[in-house]
Amino acid sequence: MLEGINRIGMHEWEVPVGYVAGMRVPGRFFLSESLGKTLEPGAVQQLANVATLPGILKNSLAMPDIHWGYGFPIGGVAAFSVDEGVISPGGVGFDINCGVRLLTTPLLHKDVTGRRDLIDELFRTVPTGVGAKSVLKVSPQVLECMMVNGAQWAVKAGYGVERDLIRCEEGGFLKTADIRSVSAKAKQRGIPQGGTLGSGNHFLEIQVVHEIFDPDAAKAFGLALGQVCCMIHCGSRGLGHQVCTDHLKILESATKKYHITIPDRQLACAPITSPEGMAYFGAMAAAANYAWANRQMITHTTRQVLSKMFRIEYDQMPLIYDVAHNVAKMEEHVLDGKRMNVCVHRKGATRAFGPGSRDIPHDLTSLGQPVIIPGSMGTSSFVLHGTQVAMDRTFGSTCHGAGRIMSRTQAKKNLSGREIMANLLKEGIIVRAHSENAIADEAPDVYKPSDEVVNVVHEVGISRLVARLSPLGGIKG
Amino acid sequence: MSFEEISHTADIKIRAHAPTLEALFSETFKALMQVIYGTNRAGGILREIRIESSDNESLLADFLSEVLFVSEVESLVFSDACIRIDGLCLTAELWGEPFDPVRHSGGSEVKGISYSGLAITSEANGYMLDIIFDV
Repeated sequence: MLEGINRIGMHEWEVPVGYVAGMRVPGRFFLSESLGKTLEPGAVQQLANVATLPGILKNSLAMPDIHWGYGFPIGGVAAFSVDEGVISPGGVGFDINCGVRLLTTPLLHKDVTGRRDLIDELFRTVPTGVGAKSVLKVSPQVLECMMVNGAQWAVKAGYGVERDLIRCEEGGFLKTADIRSVSAKAKQRGIPQGGTLGSGNHFLEIQVVHEIFDPDAAKAFGLALGQVCCMIHCGSRGLGHQVCTDHLKILESATKKYHITIPDRQLACAPITSPEGMAYFGAMAAAANYAWANRQMITHTTRQVLSKMFRIEYDQMPLIYDVAHNVAKMEEHVLDGKRMNVCVHRKGATRAFGPGSRDIPHDLTSLGQPVIIPGSMGTSSFVLHGTQVAMDRTFGSTCHGAGRIMSRTQAKKNLSGREIMANLLKEGIIVRAHSENAIADEAPDVYKPSDEVVNVVHEVGISRLVARLSPLGGIKG
Repeated sequence: MSFEEISHTADIKIRAHAPTLEALFSETFKALMQVIYGTNRAGGILREIRIESSDNESLLADFLSEVLFVSEVESLVFSDACIRIDGLCLTAELWGEPFDPVRHSGGSEVKGISYSGLAITSEANGYMLDIIFDV
């Protein structure tokens, strides 16, 4: 492990105050000894930088998928006092509410084995990649509805069923959205991209439930061994990117106005209750809602494809859950025995609320919320459940994925997209993408082993394993 | 004049060198277009951008953010730029062509221009910078 970091548990490490100047609280991250070999000094520096921000509570945290990002590290979590704390786009990222959802189907592995036509049809119907535009005609009025009501708008517009909303974090929309704080430019970018997947690490994947760790939890979530599922990973597209760009600029001025010292310009911030802080919070919530509407629209297209190709009913494909990875939200947490509202930033981290939480589906109250953790292309994804340990130690948060260990530059040098596709095909995994580079960029070898990452959160107890899903095929941007 | 991709785990990090500030901005602009759309890009259509900012780093980040915006909403892929910088005001003439899915789909969408680690420095033969594009 890197110098200056103290081990405080089997998978728990502390970055002491003083690691960088101005830290107000210690940093803390969760990582196994073997995953520690891939830890970059830049990621720890970023974790420590977050600890310098005003009003930060308890610890600057990072999950075992920690890696070097911008502003916060990827995998970073921090909660701030509403009265004394700040809000920062650097704690959310450009892709606001990038997130993931999992649908189940009544299909079994054998039903979809070798069905290249399924992957081809999904690739044809779900717009993916650079420059992809929606086939839907989204008017400015509809765009406003997407930003205000998120997945709820989408369901009312016919892109889903009521039950989907119960299975989304926050019911599929944040009530704090303020579309007046969303620029005309952001709206202009949002109009043509409703229902598009994007590029980079975004994907739509057909998977099969390969292993059940917790039969009771799996049953409660609606997962069975051998069942075919569909995972959708995408975010708020150009609208969210523009919201971040616009407000970063405003908050940079605000940082100076409020005399806040920051160690990285990407951590530009303002007091949560300031006009600038509230404007970002409202615009970010609007972008988060757009992302929820977007995932709901892609869900609808996916259900239509599966329904038509396999003669199954639309409502036979229930949503297990939808989680946000990049978001700042007001949440109620217990600190020093007192229940209080705090502003939790999650940058590449997943909410993992435990049993008894008021903010999870009623039928799962005794269990905790479903946590969906995508693996990399060709490796397993996981379903876990939230825990009380997460509530006590990480503001109800856990990891969001495998976490990269190889740069895209290196990936393109080392790996040929064509070879990777051929190797995946030998394992029965069919992948479609617009370019070989997109495959090489996101190849299995560029990520930490997803099972090692989830084993850490499972053993620490900030979420517990329910099921493992293996990929059968997918589409990428 | 040159730019290169530097290893960065999550995103795309570009290092550029150029004899003048204008050329440095132009190289970074070309790097951005190459990351998104690949190397097969042509000219033909002209767009103009004007930006004012508080320092050189912001001027560059604001310029590239504006390029991202224009490129996306107008479906234009740019190949070349003529940039003039007067103090902290920038004027750019951008030359490009309509997005062609066959030739321009090989790259990665850039979500934003990061300020993390962004620094423009003087060196013996002009200027250099490191910049991170979020992809």
